[in-house]
Amino acid sequence: MDNKATILMQKYEVGHFLGQGNFAKVYHARNLKTGQSVAIKVFNKESVIKVGMKEQLKREISLMRLVRHPNIVQLHEVMASKTKIYFAMEMVKGGELFYKVSRGRLREDVARKYFQQLIDAVGHCHSRGVCHRDLKPENLLVDENGDLKVTDFGLSALVESRENDGLLHTICGTPAYVAPEVIKKKGYDGAKADIWSCGVILFVLLAGFLPFNDKNLMQMYKKIIKADFKFPHWFSSDVKMLLYRILDPNPKTRIGIAKIVQSRWFRKGYVQLEAFQLPPLSPRNAKDISDVQAAFASSSDSDSDGSPMSNKEDSPMKLYRFNAFDLISISSGFDLSGLFEDNQNGRQLARFTTRKPPSTIVSMLEEIAQIDGRFKILKKNGVVRLEEYKAGINGQLTIDAEIFEVTSSFHVVEVTKIAGNTLEYWKFWDQYLKPSLNEMVWVWQRYEQQQ
Amino acid sequence: MGCCCTKQRVDQKDPAVLASQTYFNLSEIEALYDLFKKLSSSIIDDGVISKEEFQLGLFGSSEKRSLFADRVFELFDSKNNGVIEFGEFVQALSVFHPAAPQTQKADFAFRLYDICQRGFIQRHEVREMILALLNESNLVLSHEIIEVIIDKTFEEADSKGDGRIDPEEWQEFVARNPSLLLRNMTIPYLKDLTTQFHSFKLTSGIEDCTSRSSTSPEKDNILELKDNFNGVSIN
Repeated sequence: MDNKATILMQKYEVGHFLGQGNFAKVYHARNLKTGQSVAIKVFNKESVIKVGMKEQLKREISLMRLVRHPNIVQLHEVMASKTKIYFAMEMVKGGELFYKVSRGRLREDVARKYFQQLIDAVGHCHSRGVCHRDLKPENLLVDENGDLKVTDFGLSALVESRENDGLLHTICGTPAYVAPEVIKKKGYDGAKADIWSCGVILFVLLAGFLPFNDKNLMQMYKKIIKADFKFPHWFSSDVKMLLYRILDPNPKTRIGIAKIVQSRWFRKGYVQLEAFQLPPLSPRNAKDISDVQAAFASSSDSDSDGSPMSNKEDSPMKLYRFNAFDLISISSGFDLSGLFEDNQNGRQLARFTTRKPPSTIVSMLEEIAQIDGRFKILKKNGVVRLEEYKAGINGQLTIDAEIFEVTSSFHVVEVTKIAGNTLEYWKFWDQYLKPSLNEMVWVWQRYEQQQ
Repeated sequence: MGCCCTKQRVDQKDPAVLASQTYFNLSEIEALYDLFKKLSSSIIDDGVISKEEFQLGLFGSSEKRSLFADRVFELFDSKNNGVIEFGEFVQALSVFHPAAPQTQKADFAFRLYDICQRGFIQRHEVREMILALLNESNLVLSHEIIEVIIDKTFEEADSKGDGRIDPEEWQEFVARNPSLLLRNMTIPYLKDLTTQFHSFKLTSGIEDCTSRSSTSPEKDNILELKDNFNGVSIN
C-alpha cells in the first residue's frame, strides 16, 4: 500500500520535491527496473494544449528524446495521464551554475570552459532544429565532474504557451537574458536569440553581474534593444571582441555558432568533441519515440488511464521523504522558540511519530472531518487539510496534518492550526483530534497545550 | 525582593552598534535585553548566560542534557569563553530572524551539524546526531534503518562523492529543500518583538514594581520604557 502511493506509471518510485522549474514541478525519482535516479518534471496538460503549439512541441521533444550529448541533460522518457505530462530526465547531482555565479564572478579560464561546453550543446541542438529559447544560468547545471549540463531544451515551447499570463510572461525567457528581437515581438529566429542569451551568460560568468539591468523593466528593455552595456575593466580585449559580436542587437549581423567557435578567445584550450552519430531531422526510428507519440496522442482522448499523480480525489499521497537532517531537526534541543515563553504567534504544532501506514491516518482524519459535517477535506502532496465550511467570527478554522516518510514503516506527522480561532482549535483538539491521534502515536515529539 | 544589586555588565555592546550589525532595530534590541536579563539571572545573577541557564530557558530544566542544545550554545558563545554575553546573544539570534537570508541560515545550520568542527559533515557525525535524537525521544530504529537513512542522505547531499558534505555541497542541498531543512532556523516571534513588547513587559511588570534599580546611563532607554508602562498602569 505504501509502495503504491509513490509509484508513477508502474515505472518510477517518486521521491521528494526538488523544486519549481519553468512552470513545472520537479521531483526526484528512481527507475524501478534499473535503480537509476532521474528527475521527473510534471506539467499540466492544459498549458500544453494550444492551437499550433502541439506539433512544434511534439517535434522538438521527439528530437530531444534521441539526443545524446555530454553537455545536455538527457530526456529519458515522456509519459502522460489525462491531465498531466511527465518528463523523466537525467538527474544532475552538482547543482546550478547560478549558485556559483551568485557568489561572485568566475576566473576567465573557468568561465571559458563553461562557455565552450554551452556553445557545444547549443550548436548541437540548433543543427537538429531544436532551440532553447530560455537560456539562463538557472538552466545550466554542473554535474559531479564539474561539467556543464544544459537542461530544458525543447521544453521552452511550454513557456510560450503562457503568453497570456501577464507582462513578465509575454517575453519568452527571463527578461535580462532575452534578445532584442524577442522583446520587439516581431517574430524571431530562435537560434539567433539563443546566441544572444549565451552572450549574456558569458558576460555574467566573467563579470558577476548582468550587462543589462534596471529596476524599471522598460528601462531594462531599452538597454537591451540598444545593446547598451559597459565592459568591466578586467575583461580581456579578446573576450570584448567576441562579446561585441554576440551582443549585436541586429540578429542579421550577429555572430553565429561557427564563427564563435573560430574566435581566438573561444579556441584557447578548446577540445572539439567527436561528432556524434545522431538521427536525421525527421526521426525514422519510431520505436524510440513511441512514448512521445503516445503522450501527445492521449491528450485528445478522454479515456486515458489515470495516474497516481492525477488530480483525482482518491489519488494516493506523495509523501516528502525525510533525510537524516530532517530527522535530526525535530530535536527539541534545536528548537529555540522555547526561549520565548510569551510566544503566542507561533504555530500551534503537535508532532508525533507513528508506525501506522499513512492511509490509516488519512482515514481517521476523514472520519473526524465528517463529524457534524464541519470540515471539508483537501489532500495534496502529503498534506491533509481540514477546512471549516462556515467561517466563524475569527475566521475559518483550518488545520493541516502533514505526513512525512522516514522509512516505509515509520512516519512523522505534524498537525498545525494555520488559520482560525485558537480557543476553537484547542477545543477541537482536546475533544476529537488528540483522542483519535493517540491511537496512532508511537511517540509524541512535541505537544503544545494552552494552559 | 528588595533592591537589586547593580549588575556588572561585562563587555556590553552599544545597542546602536548591534542594531547596525543585525536584523533587529533599536527597540527590538531593548526588548531582547529584557529576555537576556531574565535568562542570565535565572540561576546566578551575573550578567551572562551560563549553559545551565540556557538549558533552563530552553527546556524548563537545567539538568536536561542535549547534544543539540550543547551545539546551539557553543555557536552562540562565539568567543568560546563558556558563557553567552548580550552582544553574542543578539548576533546569534539575528540569524534566526525571518529577514535573515537563507544562505546565512544554512551556514549556521551547517556549523551546528559539524560536530567535530572540521569544516565538513561526516557520516559518523550524522549517525551520532541521529542516535542522540533517538535517545532523547525514546524512539527506536534499527542500525540497518539508520544506515539506510544516512546512505540516502549522503547520496543526495554529497554531490562530490567524497564521503563528506562540505559547505558548498550543503548550500546546494539546502537550496533544494529549504523549508524543511531550515525549519528551526527561523523564529517568527523575532519579527514581532516590539508589538509583543508590552505583553512581554506585563509578565515581569510585577517584579519590576517591587524592585528599585539604581539609575545608570546604560539603562536610560529601558527605564524610559518602564516609565511609560508605569504611566499606563496608573490609568
